[in-house]
Amino acid sequence: MGLPGTYSEQELTSALKAKDEQAFSYLYDNYSGSLYSIILQIVKSPEVASDVLQEVFVNIWRKIESYDPIKGRLFTWMLNISRNASIDMLRSKNYQNSQKNQEITDNVYGDSQVTQTSIDSIGLSKFLGKLRPEQRVLIELAYFKGYTHDEIAQIEDIPLGTVKTRIRNALLQLRELLK
Amino acid sequence: MNVQDYILSGIVESHVLGLASPEENAEFERMCAAHNEVLAARNAFEIQLELGLQKQKLEPPSELKSRIFSEIGIEKSTVAKALLTKPTLIPRIGFARYVAAASLLLLAGSVLLNFYLLGQYKKTIAKNEELIAAQTQVASNNEIMQTKLLNYENAINLMKNPLMAIVKMSGVPKSPDPSSMATVYWDTKSKEVYLLVNQLPKPVANKQYQLWAIVDGKPVDVGIFDSVEGLSFVKLKTIQKAEAFAITLEKKGGSATPDMEAMYVMGKVTG
Repeated sequence: MGLPGTYSEQELTSALKAKDEQAFSYLYDNYSGSLYSIILQIVKSPEVASDVLQEVFVNIWRKIESYDPIKGRLFTWMLNISRNASIDMLRSKNYQNSQKNQEITDNVYGDSQVTQTSIDSIGLSKFLGKLRPEQRVLIELAYFKGYTHDEIAQIEDIPLGTVKTRIRNALLQLRELLK
Repeated sequence: MNVQDYILSGIVESHVLGLASPEENAEFERMCAAHNEVLAARNAFEIQLELGLQKQKLEPPSELKSRIFSEIGIEKSTVAKALLTKPTLIPRIGFARYVAAASLLLLAGSVLLNFYLLGQYKKTIAKNEELIAAQTQVASNNEIMQTKLLNYENAINLMKNPLMAIVKMSGVPKSPDPSSMATVYWDTKSKEVYLLVNQLPKPVANKQYQLWAIVDGKPVDVGIFDSVEGLSFVKLKTIQKAEAFAITLEKKGGSATPDMEAMYVMGKVTG
């Protein structure tokens, strides 16, 4: 573990599954900031990010039973819920309509400027800035836009194998950068 | 592919970040179950990722927590309790408490002061009423004294009058109360008759005393009166001449002829 806090990972998981409200309050206080950061990097708008974060924590509370510690850590589970919810929001009609005018130049289909506009100085985006441009665009599309490797191969017009290799190499660098 | 190559292929990061395909994920889970090194590598990256992202916090809107808690139906009191455990909020809540406590003290003080002032006000009202009553009493006493004083002055003037003939009437032998006594003051000039009751018993109900003048041996009515105590003269009818005066107890309003059986006093006019 080695993480700061008053609960161990195991204690927190057990308390949450027992619907302990104090544990949930602790969970929110401890993790809402980093999850909000990731969500904001995907949906861009603070208002939308707040709505997504609310949905995420409600789902964490309601679906904690489905969390299996054998498959990964609690934070990883919450991070993936947050990313999935954010990408679902990106693809919702309401969101697309509201963003259409603002992001007319931010077209993922072939615009090479896309990665530049999406790079922030926070979180994983910061890491993106340290990647080579051909890796950066793939991580952007895969992680922050939620496209599958097949979709990215079509979008970027490169072979699927190349997509996989570039993404994996980029992720291996992430391990080093997170140290 | 051996296990070490598998770990270094990038599948660990790809799986943890949710970028792997369903087939890749299924294979990864099998490898984790089969090889502790894979599991250890996954765990290490997860912790690394968590520590890294936990350094990149952005504060969500402050009201979001209560919105979430109300959506999942957690009592507000629990949220408040949870908020209390956040040290940054304690001073503000503490201050609010002091303000609340102070305002309660002020309110209590104000209530007590109001009770005190109400008490004082009621006391003042009562005192004022007492004073008014006392003053009324004094005024009425004063009136009584003035009346008495006037009566005394009149009485003294009558007694001082040198033309006044004084006829002392004493209890007759057959009188119902032989100790009875009364005095007639008869102005020899104006012929007015004044009566002073020295002592007469209180008449029974429906009866009144009547003064008679004996003129040429016959009783003449001088007037009815109630027994009056103290130095008080009762002015009765004017009598031109008389040999004697007498008082009988008659029916209320007086009689034409006296009831001789009820004669209390009698006195002869001298000189």
